[in-house]
Amino acid sequence: MRLHRPEDVSVPGGSAAGRSSRRKLTLAGAALALVMGGVPFVHAATAQSPPATIETTLRDPWVPPELRTPAPAPAPQGAALRAQVERKLKAGFDAADVNRSGTVTRDQARAAGLGYIVKHFDDIDRQRAGAVSFDDVKRFLRGRGAQLD
Amino acid sequence: MSKLISRIGACLAVALLLAGCGGGGSGGGSAPPPAPTFTDPVLYSTAATASLPSAVEIAAVTKHQLVIKGTTLNYTATAGHLTAQALTSNAPEASFFYVAYTLDGANAATRPVTFFYNGGPGSSTVWLHLGSYGPKRLVTGDPATTAPTPFPLVDNMESLIDVSDLVFVDAVGTGLSEAIAPNVNQTFWSVDADAAVFRDFVIRYLAANNRAASPKFLFGESYGTTRSAVLANMLESAGVSINGVVLQSSILNYNVACGVISPVVSCAGSVPSYGAVGAWYNLDNPNPAPSALPAFIGQMRALTTDQYDPAVTAFLTMGAPPPPGLLTQLVNTTGLSLAGWQTHFNLDPGFYHANLIPGTLIGLYDARVSAPIGSPLAIEGDPSSTFINASFASAITTYLNAGLLYTNPSSYVLVSNAIRTWGFGHDGHALPDTIPDLAAALAQNPQLKVLSVNGYHDLVTPFFQTERDLARLGPMANVQLRFYLGGHMTYLDDGSRALAKADLAQFYQGTTAAP
Repeated sequence: MRLHRPEDVSVPGGSAAGRSSRRKLTLAGAALALVMGGVPFVHAATAQSPPATIETTLRDPWVPPELRTPAPAPAPQGAALRAQVERKLKAGFDAADVNRSGTVTRDQARAAGLGYIVKHFDDIDRQRAGAVSFDDVKRFLRGRGAQLD
Repeated sequence: MSKLISRIGACLAVALLLAGCGGGGSGGGSAPPPAPTFTDPVLYSTAATASLPSAVEIAAVTKHQLVIKGTTLNYTATAGHLTAQALTSNAPEASFFYVAYTLDGANAATRPVTFFYNGGPGSSTVWLHLGSYGPKRLVTGDPATTAPTPFPLVDNMESLIDVSDLVFVDAVGTGLSEAIAPNVNQTFWSVDADAAVFRDFVIRYLAANNRAASPKFLFGESYGTTRSAVLANMLESAGVSINGVVLQSSILNYNVACGVISPVVSCAGSVPSYGAVGAWYNLDNPNPAPSALPAFIGQMRALTTDQYDPAVTAFLTMGAPPPPGLLTQLVNTTGLSLAGWQTHFNLDPGFYHANLIPGTLIGLYDARVSAPIGSPLAIEGDPSSTFINASFASAITTYLNAGLLYTNPSSYVLVSNAIRTWGFGHDGHALPDTIPDLAAALAQNPQLKVLSVNGYHDLVTPFFQTERDLARLGPMANVQLRFYLGGHMTYLDDGSRALAKADLAQFYQGTTAAP
């Protein structure tokens, strides 16, 4: 066992990821202890956390009684669902369009966290205008197979 | 019992084999001293108002082996914390506790990584971590309640570690995860804020471990499926493409969940589940043979759609009495008494589980589990839940301490009080409907694949309701559904866990293969 900061992790892909026979032996002992009923086999150095707790027996799904008012039926599907999807995507787009120009630049998309527009910006910006409209985004997504009207 | 003993025997053999392998390379002869246990001294709290002043990203790293069908898998377990940072400001949001299992020597560009989380909201991920497809699992004996407790933790022959790296992560304010000031845990106790901070954890994990190129999967259970739909959309918007989403026992639209908000909405989505449960207790007339269950469920779907739907709509909107012929069919196909159906025509799972068998309480999570009313297993309202809770609680602490050599002065909180003050609002409604989120994720990434895993005997997230919710997406090759014997946690059933493991392996292969 060792401590590390994640930046130091040798990622899978390296071939010799720090194999240590000593470590394996210790862990096998720990696993054995667990199988045999929880008495730590490596008790010499094994510290213990306090017991785990369950604060509530309420488990999902449950909602407080005052919230039990369903949205109007029927739940959207077909054209209504596609329209809702478009509204969701448009809301994200509009949040990035901070100066209400109707278009979003690469930097604006990045600043708003719209990585999918940043990643595909050149494919979306077919006019090489340096800014894309929501229709450009929709055209790009439809071209990739998205179900949008 | 003999099966259990042989399983423990196999486990001991594996453990001793490991010891033998480990000792072979040391060359010294005497046993090496045990490795020191890492103690993270930070005290974590799941209180709504709690927050950490700051957080450090540290973890305990241990090496392990798992032998599946003669193949030795060397893997690394990493147990500790990572800091989620806000997407655009990079401000620290929360310190997430996670346990990651990564296969040694794999190619990060092609090796999938899967993020697992339970639901609640307010549940830690202990159930998936120690019950499903991790390298170790608890032997629960589900659906019997005769297994020795606390359950032993054994090597998991159905682990997904041969297919994907596995990251089990606890939601903020559960397990050992906590918000970082100026946020508090409650900051992330709502549908959108929770999904956003999970997005930021996923992004942090991928960056910290150089996994940007890896195929990525989300594996949520119960409320975790609600989270997955919202999270998948948020990740796609952020430019992080997801290859696959596994929905374990879904609740995708709370607005139609009869068990949650009955009696105002139709309980039709639960009716085929009642059919399966009645058959389990041999109460259906005629009772279908176990091998005929899928065909019988097909008949239950048709009965529900063709007859129950119109009748229950008329009942709910106009108070129309149910047709007597339909009542007879429902009695015969679900096992509940005529009186039960007459007084509770819009039958909610709460009534069914308390009244199917006089004097007996059947489980809601797994309706195949039962206990006499008034007995210790029934006293909390769900024997399938009560039977396993204490074993999972004791196992997580022992395993973190002795198995992963990670200790901490805090109590790991399996289920916190988050659910009591959760913000369920989403998209302008009081309760979340996340099908539009899943649809938006699919619009942004038409390659995204979805696998819906369902238990026939799960009364809390009934499979037929999930079928109906997913059907709103329209006919799509992206969405597959699978059904297994078992409850909410289908993976606790030995047979179903093996079947689902095979289906999952196929799903991963189909999802990551080049088109």
